[in-house]
Amino acid sequence: MEKSGSVDSVESLCSSTTTRSDRSSGTRVSDTELRSKGRAIEKVYKDTSKGELPLLPEELVQDSAKDVTYICPFIGPVRGSLTVTNYRLFFRCTDREPVFGLDLPLGVLSRVEKIGAATSRGDVSYGLACKDMRNLRFVHKEPEDSLKKSVFEVLMKFAFPVSNNMSLFAFEYKQVFPENGWRVYDPLAEYKRQGLPKESWRISKVNDRYELCDSYPAALVVPVTITDEELRRVSSFRAKGRIPVLSWIHPESQAAVVRASQPMVGQNGRRCKEDEKLLQAIMDANAQSHKMFIFDARPSVNAAANKMKGGGYESEDAYQNAELVFLDIHNIHVMRESLRKLKEVVYPNIEDSHWLSNLESTHWLEHIKLILAGSLRIADKVESGKTSVVVHCSDGWDRTPQLTSLALIMLDSHYRTIRGFQILLEKEWLSFGHRFQQRVGHGDKNHTDADRSPIFLQFIDCVWQMTRQFPAAFEFNEYFLLTILDHLYSCLFGTFLCNSEQQRLKEEVPKHTVSLWSFVNSQLEEFVNPLYVHYASHVLFPTVGIRHLQLWVTYYIRWNPRMRPQEPVHQRYKELLAKRAELQKRVEELQREAANRTASSTSERAGSPTRSITPVQTFV
Amino acid sequence: CFSLKISWLTYCFSGLACSEVFTRIVPEMQMLSQGEIVVNEANFVRKCISAESCQDDLWGKLVCTNFKVSFITHNSLPRQRFQCTHRLLGEHDIPLACVEQVVTVNDVKGKQKILGSNQKLKFNPTELILYCKDFRIIRFRFDEAGPESAKKVCLAIAHYSHPADPQLLFGFEYVGKRYHGSTGERMNGIDPGGGMQTTLFDCSSDWDREIKRTGASEWRVCTINQGYFISPSLPEFFVVPVSLADQDLKQYACFFYSQRIPLWCWNHSSGSALVRMSNISDPQQQRKVEQRISSAITKSHPLRSDVFKSDLDKNLPNIQDIQAALLKLRQICVIDPFEESEEKWLSSLESSRWMEYVRTFLRHAVEVVYMLESRNVPVILLEKEDRDLSCVISCLVQLMCDPHCRSLHGFQGLIQKEWVMAGHRFLDRCNHLKKNDKEESPVFLLFLDCVWQLWNQYPAAFEFTEVYLTVLGDSMWVPIFSTFLFNCPRQRAENSRFGVCKMFECFLKSLMFTKAWDWSQQFSLKDQTLFNNPLYVGKIATCVQNGTVKTFTHRRSKKNYSSTLRGLPSALRNGSLGPNDTLARRNSLVLRLRSDLSQVREQQETPSERFIRDFFSRPVDLQGLLLPQLLPSHLSVWKLYFLRWVPEAQIPQGGPITAFHKLSVLTDEIDMLQNQLRQYKGAGGTPNNLHAEHSKMYFKATSTPHQPPAPPEYLSSSFPFSPVGNLCRPGILGSPLSKFLNGAKIWLSTETLANETI
Repeated sequence: MEKSGSVDSVESLCSSTTTRSDRSSGTRVSDTELRSKGRAIEKVYKDTSKGELPLLPEELVQDSAKDVTYICPFIGPVRGSLTVTNYRLFFRCTDREPVFGLDLPLGVLSRVEKIGAATSRGDVSYGLACKDMRNLRFVHKEPEDSLKKSVFEVLMKFAFPVSNNMSLFAFEYKQVFPENGWRVYDPLAEYKRQGLPKESWRISKVNDRYELCDSYPAALVVPVTITDEELRRVSSFRAKGRIPVLSWIHPESQAAVVRASQPMVGQNGRRCKEDEKLLQAIMDANAQSHKMFIFDARPSVNAAANKMKGGGYESEDAYQNAELVFLDIHNIHVMRESLRKLKEVVYPNIEDSHWLSNLESTHWLEHIKLILAGSLRIADKVESGKTSVVVHCSDGWDRTPQLTSLALIMLDSHYRTIRGFQILLEKEWLSFGHRFQQRVGHGDKNHTDADRSPIFLQFIDCVWQMTRQFPAAFEFNEYFLLTILDHLYSCLFGTFLCNSEQQRLKEEVPKHTVSLWSFVNSQLEEFVNPLYVHYASHVLFPTVGIRHLQLWVTYYIRWNPRMRPQEPVHQRYKELLAKRAELQKRVEELQREAANRTASSTSERAGSPTRSITPVQTFV
Repeated sequence: CFSLKISWLTYCFSGLACSEVFTRIVPEMQMLSQGEIVVNEANFVRKCISAESCQDDLWGKLVCTNFKVSFITHNSLPRQRFQCTHRLLGEHDIPLACVEQVVTVNDVKGKQKILGSNQKLKFNPTELILYCKDFRIIRFRFDEAGPESAKKVCLAIAHYSHPADPQLLFGFEYVGKRYHGSTGERMNGIDPGGGMQTTLFDCSSDWDREIKRTGASEWRVCTINQGYFISPSLPEFFVVPVSLADQDLKQYACFFYSQRIPLWCWNHSSGSALVRMSNISDPQQQRKVEQRISSAITKSHPLRSDVFKSDLDKNLPNIQDIQAALLKLRQICVIDPFEESEEKWLSSLESSRWMEYVRTFLRHAVEVVYMLESRNVPVILLEKEDRDLSCVISCLVQLMCDPHCRSLHGFQGLIQKEWVMAGHRFLDRCNHLKKNDKEESPVFLLFLDCVWQLWNQYPAAFEFTEVYLTVLGDSMWVPIFSTFLFNCPRQRAENSRFGVCKMFECFLKSLMFTKAWDWSQQFSLKDQTLFNNPLYVGKIATCVQNGTVKTFTHRRSKKNYSSTLRGLPSALRNGSLGPNDTLARRNSLVLRLRSDLSQVREQQETPSERFIRDFFSRPVDLQGLLLPQLLPSHLSVWKLYFLRWVPEAQIPQGGPITAFHKLSVLTDEIDMLQNQLRQYKGAGGTPNNLHAEHSKMYFKATSTPHQPPAPPEYLSSSFPFSPVGNLCRPGILGSPLSKFLNGAKIWLSTETLANETI
C-alpha cells in the first residue's frame, strides 16, 4: 500500500499539463466551472473510449495512437495514448491509474523530429523541443500498415500550420467573453491620460496608412513644430523609417521618453537636418532642461559596426545638446544563445553542486541586469534629471521596447496595474511593431530561424524581477505574467500574432481572433496581487545588482517535479481578508443590535443610533 | 565632559526609561549602562559615512568604554537612520564584543597596523577602521584630533576588545552593578516577567513538562549531574531512558567524551526518540556501551524499533569549514568593492560554500526526519563532542516536525534546550576573548540561516520574523546575556556569583545574568513588535482561545485553511503540478507496476528521496511536518542579515518589508475587530481606542481602511537597519568604464555626466 501511494504522487508530480488558463478558457469562464474543472477532466478520463478530451470550441481531434511511450526524464517511460487535435497534444497514460497526462498547445513546439532509425524491435522515437523550456520524447511502434501515417506526421502538420499553408488555431477559436480585449488600448485615450500638452506635442496622421513606416502605429506623437513633410524626410534617415516619436511624457516636468531606430549615418557620417531639428524640437518641448540624452541600447562596438551597413549613431557634432550613452545590451542572437544555455542548465535536472556557477555561465541574469540597469538610467534621467530621452537600438523593435516599457513601468504607476500593463504591451510592443511572429515563429517549422529570440520573455522576466523587489507595487501577480508567457506561444489568442499593427489589420486579426485580454479581463480576480497598494506618484528605482536578481524558478524550472512553488504569502493574505470580512460582519451585526437596544430603551429620534460607534467598512 | 556628566546623573536617577528619551531628543548625549565606565576618548573625530566623499561625514567624540565604542555627535545622519532604537546602544555604538579587528592607518606614512591587546603603536593614526562581527565596517578619521588622544583611544579600543578572561567581559560588570544598585530590577526598565514564558530547561520540572508534551513516557529526568559532579559540560538535569538506572549511567559516563552521557532531545509523535551522543573514547568499551545505550533506547520505543545512528562528523562540514565559509562570504558581501564583485557574484558565492553548507545541514536534518517520520525508528546523532553540529541538526529536526518550536517561545526554548543547556561553546565559538581563533566558528549563525531558509519557504508557519532572527544573531555580540557568554551550564553557574544557592532561588534568580530572551533589555515593547509575524497561522489558534469569538473563528479558520490547501497555488501550480494531482490522491488505487518501470524508479530514487517527493505532492499543513525545498535554486542568500549594511544592495522603498507592512496592517485590523467584538460581548459598551497600545503589530491599522496606507518613505530592504555609515569599505572607486558596464545605482547619486560617455 505504502509503495503504491508514493508512486502515485510521483506521477502526479510529473504530470506536466498545459496551463490552467487554457483549460478554463476552453470550456467556460464561470467561476464555479473553473473550480470544478479538475473534476470534469476526471470524469472524462473515467470513460475509456477516446474522444472525451476537454476540447475547446472548434477544436477537433486529428489523430490518435495507442501504445505510445512517453520517456519522462524524471520518472522514466510511461505508456499511454496520444491524441493530436488542431490545437493541442494530449498524452494520457493507459497502463496505470491514476491518470497521468500531458496536455500542451501545439504552439509551444519549436521542433518535432524523429530520433535515429527504427530499432530492431520496430520502435520509432520522436523528440519534441518546446519553446517553454522543456523537451519531450516519445517512442512508439512502427505502424504495421506502413501506408498509415504516424501520429507524429499529423502532429507535425498541425504543429506548424504556417509552414503547411494552414491557419493558426487562433483563427478557428471562437470563444465569447464578456469583455472584448481588443478594445483595451486606444492610443488617443492613452495620450490623453498622459496629459499630452497640446502646445508642444501633436498627434500626427502622417502614418495613417502606414506609408511613412509600415512597422509603426497609425497614431504618432511628434513635436508641434515639425511638419509632416519634415517627418517624411526624417523617415528616410532612420532605419526602417522608424522616426523619433513620443512614448511617454512626464506629467510635471514634461520630460519625454522618445523612441526611434538608429540614424542612417553610415561610414560617411551622413546628416539629416530635419532629424536634427526634430531632436532639437523634442528637447525644446521640455522647458526644464537644455540637454537631452540619447540612449543607444547597443554596445558601442556594435553601434560602430552598424556604420558599415549604413546605420550608426548620432554624432555629437550634429546633435549639439544631446549626449549619447551606450547601454551595452547585446543583440537577439546573444540572447537566444543565452536562453539555450539556460535551458541546458535547468532542464531536465539541476546539477546540485555547481548550480550557481552554471547559472552564471549562461549570462542570463547578466543580460537581465543590463536591461534593467539601462531602463533604470532612462527612468532616472527623466525623473531626477527632468531631461527628455531618446531611446533606440538598431531597428528599434527589440531592445528599444524592452527599455522604454521597463522605464515606463518604473515611472508611471498606471502601467503597474493589470489594465495599464495591457495598455503598455499593446502600445510599446504591439503597436510599435515588435516582430512577434518572427521572434516566436508562430506555427513555423523553421526552428533554426536566426530571427527567433526570447526578447519578450526577457522583458517579462525583468518585470518579474521588479515585482520581487516591490511586492506591493504591482496590481498583478505572478500568474498573470505566466499566463502572458504561456499564451505568447499557445496561438490560442490573436494578441501576439503578426509583426506589426499594419499586418494585424490586414489579416483582420481583431475581427477573427480572440484577444488574450478578453480572457484575462473576464476573470481578473485570478490575476490580482492582494498585496497591491496603489500609490499614485511613486517612481520605482529597482536595485539592479546581481545580488538582487534571481532566476525565475516558477517559470524556468516549473517542469521539474522537485520544484514546488513556495508557500505563497498571497494565499495567506486572502485568508486574512476573508477573516476580516467575517469579523466585520459580526461587528456590524452587534452594532445593529446595540443600536436597536439603545433606540428602544431611550426612544430617541431614530436618526442617529450608531453615532458613537466606529464606522466599519466592508471592503474585500 | 559636561554632557557626559549630565547624562550619567540623569541616568542614575531615573534609569533607562529616561535615557531612552534622552537618546531621542538629544542624540549627542552619551548613554551609559550600569557598570559602564569611560576608558578613553578623543575629540574632533570624523566618522566616515560614505566611501565616495567626505561631505556627509559626522564630527564628534570617539569614546571607548568597558562595554562599547561610542561616537557622540551633534550632527544627525543625512539620510535614513536605524528605525529601531537599541536600549543599550546608540546609533553609532559598537559593543566591544562585536569588534573583530581594530585596524589603525596612517595614510601619510602609508602605514597600517592591526591592533591587539596591550600593544604599542609607533605611528600616529590618521584613521581607525573597525571590522565588526556583524559585518559592519566602521571608519573614523583623526585629521583634526590630537595625535596623542587619537592614539590612546585606538589602543584603548584594541585593549578592551580583547579581554584577558571572561570576568572582564562587560556582562559581569553589568550584572554586578545591577545587583548593587539599590533600585534593582526596575531600574533597568526590565519587565520582570519578560522572557519568562520561555522554558529554560534549567530545572527538572521543565524537562518533565517536555516529556509530557512530547508523550515520551518511557523517558525520565536524571539528576545525577546535580552540582556537575559527573560531567562538566552537561546540564544538571537531562533526560534518559527509564530502563537505565542512575547507577548504570554513572558507570557509562566515563566512557564518553567529557563524560557526556547521551542526551534525549525530543520524541516524535510516533514514539521515536531523538538522542544526541558524543563519541566513546575507549574503543574497547565502545561496542558494549553503545549497545547498552541503543538497547535502552529501543526499549523506550513503543515498537521496540532498532536505533538509527547518524554520524554527523562524517556527513557534515566541521567547524573550521564553517568558519572559512563565513569569512569568504563576508569577503564578497562587504569587503570586496561592490561593482567589481558583481560580475562574479554567483560563482564567488558558490566558492564560499556557505550556501552549500546551509543546504547540507538542511538535507541532513531531512534525512533524520525521514528516519523518525517514515521509518519510525529512534535516531542517535553522533558527534565527537556533541556540542556543535548536533545542536544544529537536532534543532532543525524539531523545527521541521514540531509546530511548537515554530512559535516564538517554543523556538527560544528549543535554543535553550539544544544549545545553551546542551553546552554549545558559545564563549569559544564567538571567540569573545579573541584568544583562540581556531575555536571560532559561526555554528549558531549557520543554524539561524538554516532556520531562515525554512522561514523563507514557509513564512506563515513561524510566529517570528526575519528581523527577529537577525537581531537574535546580533545578540551574540552584546555580552550581557548569559545565553551567549559561556561554554556550558556549569561555567554559567560558576560565573553567576550567587548562582546555585537553592535557598534563595527566587530572590537570587534576579541576580543572575539576564537571558537574551528578555528582549526588553534591548528593545522597547514597540520595537519588539517587529518580531511578530503577521502571517503566522498558529496565531488564529490562539485567537480562538480568546473566548468570545471562539466557535466562529475556529470554524472560519479551519475552512480557510483547507481552502489554502485545495485552492493553493492555482497560479503557481500552473504546469508544475498536474491539474489532477489532488484528484489522483483522492482516489488513489492500488497500482500494478510493470517491473521495468519500477526498476527505473529505484535507480533514480532512494527511499528518503521518495519520502521527500511524497511530502511535496501533498498539500502542506503549516501546523504539521514541514520539509524544506532542497533544490539549490530554491535556497537564497539571507539578504537582511548579510547585505543589510551594503548601501548599493539596498532597495529603497522596496523589499519584502513592503509586503510585511501591508500584512501587518491587515492583521492589526483583524485584531482591532476582534477587540471590538469582545467589548460588545463583554461590557456591552462602545469600543474605545485602547487597541493601539496593545497592538502586536509594528505597523498599525489606520482609521481609514479604505485607503490602505502607503508604505512609509523610510522603508527599504535593509529595514529596520540602515547602511548609512555602517559600511565604509576601503574606497576603491571603479573606473568610469566599469561603473558604466555594471549596475546603475551609482549614477543615481553622482551625476558625473562627462564620465559616462565613452
